Amino acid sequence: MRRRDFLKVAATSATGAVLFAGCGRIGDGVPETEFKIAQPVHTPNDWVYGRDAWFATAAPPEQGGYGLIVRVFEGRAKKVDGNPDFPGVLGKSDARAQALVQELYHPDRITGPQRASTRGGQVQSISWDDALQEVVGILREAGGERAVLITGRPSSSQAAIIAAFRQATGIRHAILEPDEFVALRTAMRRLFGTSMLPIPDLANAAFLLNFSAEFLHGWIAPVALARAYGAFRQGHSGHRGLYYHVGPRLSATAANADRWFPIVPGSEGLVALGIANVLLTEGKLPAERFQPYLAALGLDAARLTSDYTPERVAEASGLGAEQIRELAHALIEHQPAVVIAGTNAAATTNGLFNLVAAFGLNLVLGTVDQPGGLLLNPEPVLPELRVPDDAILNQQQWAQLVEQIRSGSVSTVLVHRANPVYSLPATLGVADALRAAQHVVSFSPFFDETTLLADLVLPDLVWLEQWGLQVPDPGPGYAAVAIQQPVVQPFADGRAFGDVLIQLAQQLGKPLPWASQEEATKTLALGLRQVSGGNIRAGNDSEFLVTLQAQGGWWSEGTRGQAGTPATAIVQPRDPEFAGDAGQYPLLLLPYPSPAIGYGEFAHLPWLQALPEPISTNVWQTWIEVGQRTADELGLTTGDVVRVSTPQGTVELPVYVNPAGQPGIVAIPFGQGHTAFGRYAEGRGLNPLAIVAPQSDPDAGTLAWCATRCRLEKTGRRTRLARFEGMVPAFQLEEFPIVRVMPPSA
Amino acid sequence: MPRWGMVIDLDRCIGCGACVVACQAENNVPINTEDVYHQRRAIAWIRLERYWEGEFPNIKARYIPVPCMQCTNAPCEPVCPVYATYHTNEGINMQVYNRCIGTRYCAVNCHWHVRFFNFWEPKWPDSLKNQLNPDVTVRSRGVMEKCNFCVHRIVKAEQKAKVEKRELRTDEVTTACAQACPTNAIVFGDLDDPNSAVSKLLAQAEHEGRVYRLLEDLGTDPKVYYLKKVDIEAAAEPAAAH
Repeated sequence: MRRRDFLKVAATSATGAVLFAGCGRIGDGVPETEFKIAQPVHTPNDWVYGRDAWFATAAPPEQGGYGLIVRVFEGRAKKVDGNPDFPGVLGKSDARAQALVQELYHPDRITGPQRASTRGGQVQSISWDDALQEVVGILREAGGERAVLITGRPSSSQAAIIAAFRQATGIRHAILEPDEFVALRTAMRRLFGTSMLPIPDLANAAFLLNFSAEFLHGWIAPVALARAYGAFRQGHSGHRGLYYHVGPRLSATAANADRWFPIVPGSEGLVALGIANVLLTEGKLPAERFQPYLAALGLDAARLTSDYTPERVAEASGLGAEQIRELAHALIEHQPAVVIAGTNAAATTNGLFNLVAAFGLNLVLGTVDQPGGLLLNPEPVLPELRVPDDAILNQQQWAQLVEQIRSGSVSTVLVHRANPVYSLPATLGVADALRAAQHVVSFSPFFDETTLLADLVLPDLVWLEQWGLQVPDPGPGYAAVAIQQPVVQPFADGRAFGDVLIQLAQQLGKPLPWASQEEATKTLALGLRQVSGGNIRAGNDSEFLVTLQAQGGWWSEGTRGQAGTPATAIVQPRDPEFAGDAGQYPLLLLPYPSPAIGYGEFAHLPWLQALPEPISTNVWQTWIEVGQRTADELGLTTGDVVRVSTPQGTVELPVYVNPAGQPGIVAIPFGQGHTAFGRYAEGRGLNPLAIVAPQSDPDAGTLAWCATRCRLEKTGRRTRLARFEGMVPAFQLEEFPIVRVMPPSA
Repeated sequence: MPRWGMVIDLDRCIGCGACVVACQAENNVPINTEDVYHQRRAIAWIRLERYWEGEFPNIKARYIPVPCMQCTNAPCEPVCPVYATYHTNEGINMQVYNRCIGTRYCAVNCHWHVRFFNFWEPKWPDSLKNQLNPDVTVRSRGVMEKCNFCVHRIVKAEQKAKVEKRELRTDEVTTACAQACPTNAIVFGDLDDPNSAVSKLLAQAEHEGRVYRLLEDLGTDPKVYYLKKVDIEAAAEPAAAH
């Protein structure tokens, strides 16, 4: 606060009539409008000056949907931590959860409803009444069949509201999730007959075999898995979990492994089959355990033993045959063992096969739903809280939808918390299609790339300002629901998306069952009271809701996941394919999600931008990671700017020489390359999707962003990489080793 | 009287950086912009270092979080001409911001490079100032700052205990980094309390031969203890610093 503001406030307070409320207009810096002045009688009744209040709420679905607590001081959220009671996380959090407060106070939040004079042009503020009326007119004009609602993965209660809105209006719902998760859910349906994600019981496992999944850095349930990992390593006296990582890159997660087995990208499934071959031929496991595994892959025992010998697999994967045997033997020697796969393994042209072949090993080992194995999660205890599978589109379905928008058969696009212009490959032409659409309405609280193409913007509240219910996906292995409650008064003139849908339906003459998102949340939450076995004992509804809010959620350890009937479709083993001629493009391009800013959805948060990427320690930009041997061959050093060419296009990027990089493979982090999305995201680096060829996995229909070849050429220019490494002088004292070497059995 | 200390188990640490961001959020550490990194003036009261061991393919990347070591015989303290850096009777190496005149002698004398100088006035957009922790002073240009084991949390807990006419309970207070750490790699507590988590961890890890302190041979008696990362095989090549 500036001195002038202070004096002004002091003078006002001196009259004894008014006090500050925690509601200010965001970022305008104008003293007259910086704060609302409110009568003390209007301040929340739990507000005590000078005292903290802690509110339980939930993390967003893209962060795992687990329970959080937020420290609030005089109307302002100060700090986010994990909910100490919530299963799986037990008080722990991660950098992304910590940064939620920056979204709340982001200086580039949209302050209220806006209308654009032209797409991407000037915007003017309008009232909520006008904005809603316009959207009602648009929806009436389009009718349900010509309108689509594109969202990110909604919270569970939002899913219920959207389902009711769909039913009332006939609008189509399309969910945009990162392709790796679409492939993962498909794999779970094929293997276990459920699209709820499973969770490895790491805390009780003796051995973890991981095929490329970034499970410690932003994958599914990053906090629950990290917490379990701590217990896996040092949580049991006299026993330490052993972790082997099979993957093409020594990633931030792979760096924690006891052993890293570098492989050719996309050969994860093949290695898994090689392991299954050893397990079968050596007869160390009952033969009947292989039946569901072989059935899912369309194989029989004879073909597995003849076609996938360690020698044959070794040739294609880059491993030695002995290494494959070693992996198989480790699974037998260290029980219970669990196998997971994901991230890069899911993003090749054989991604679904990789996932099915790797996760299927848990069936062979007999550790599905066993302590220390792979725990399946139950469907949400209330069917209304289920996020519909059919709304989650894969790349092929996105291509069809984009074509429908372009051709005019879908004339109206509503977008909530999704940024398809940025997140989908440029080859799909989403931006052009949206420009051709008759109406585009965005509900984003930020001007991202998609919102810039909207005619109308009705800004949503940010996560810490809303009501909701969230079923963590994956859950802790049993039923759990986190309650999301607003921890502060809204800091901008936004409205919760659920409220807007309810109001739109009302004005369309098709009212939904609830008057507000809050009412929907509480009504749905009361449904949990009817479910037996939960953690909350309450004599009446009011007591139940108060306890639910205080504890931050509802969970029932007795309600466990069960395997359903696996989908009948077979996932045939297939080799990965790469776009581009190997002679012309000799290197394989391996994009990877940034541990901090993910696929770009967290790029607007400065704490996450400034958090060094663990391996390179680079910040705030995009770089290309080149292995030492390849760099030596090309004469490259860190800071050289190179031209990266793929069959899809050419870009220039600075080089980071990674001593652990495999020869012939170069890597680029996702997350940057925003042309909008606020001051901290805009105009930095590159979105790798710009140079990734539009290859897809024919089984899952997902984008194979790890299936492009490239070549590097020196530009002769150099640039300085913003990075942490070198900030502090490094030296090592040989006489003080900081690693204790011990055998695996210890 | 407690003697505060910290144990960091490198076998649990995954390099996620939750501790770094939690510390920034708790202690009003300015945003490290791209320019700040270029100037090599990033402020991180706890930082996450990555170093390499071996060569491809037998190469390992290791993580180590580095906060202030809170040395008992802190080399930063005697060099301060204005007594801005001093030792509390609970063993915390403190910085008095409004006494500091910015000579930076302390930073020069710190072997762990965990003291940070404010070369510029810290800046946040007005709206982001709403996040600042009211319990922690925002440091101005020209003064040093450093990790203080979240002393405001300790003071608050001690005041609460005093009001309630009781002793501070075992592990009643913790630092922001330890609270956030998802793998429980960072544990904070009273080294003199045999029942505290840090004491128990140290007793157990001593038995396993995993305890060490950074630059222990300098004789400064750091109160941050590390537990060695366990490795099932020696890196094939001799260790190499980054």
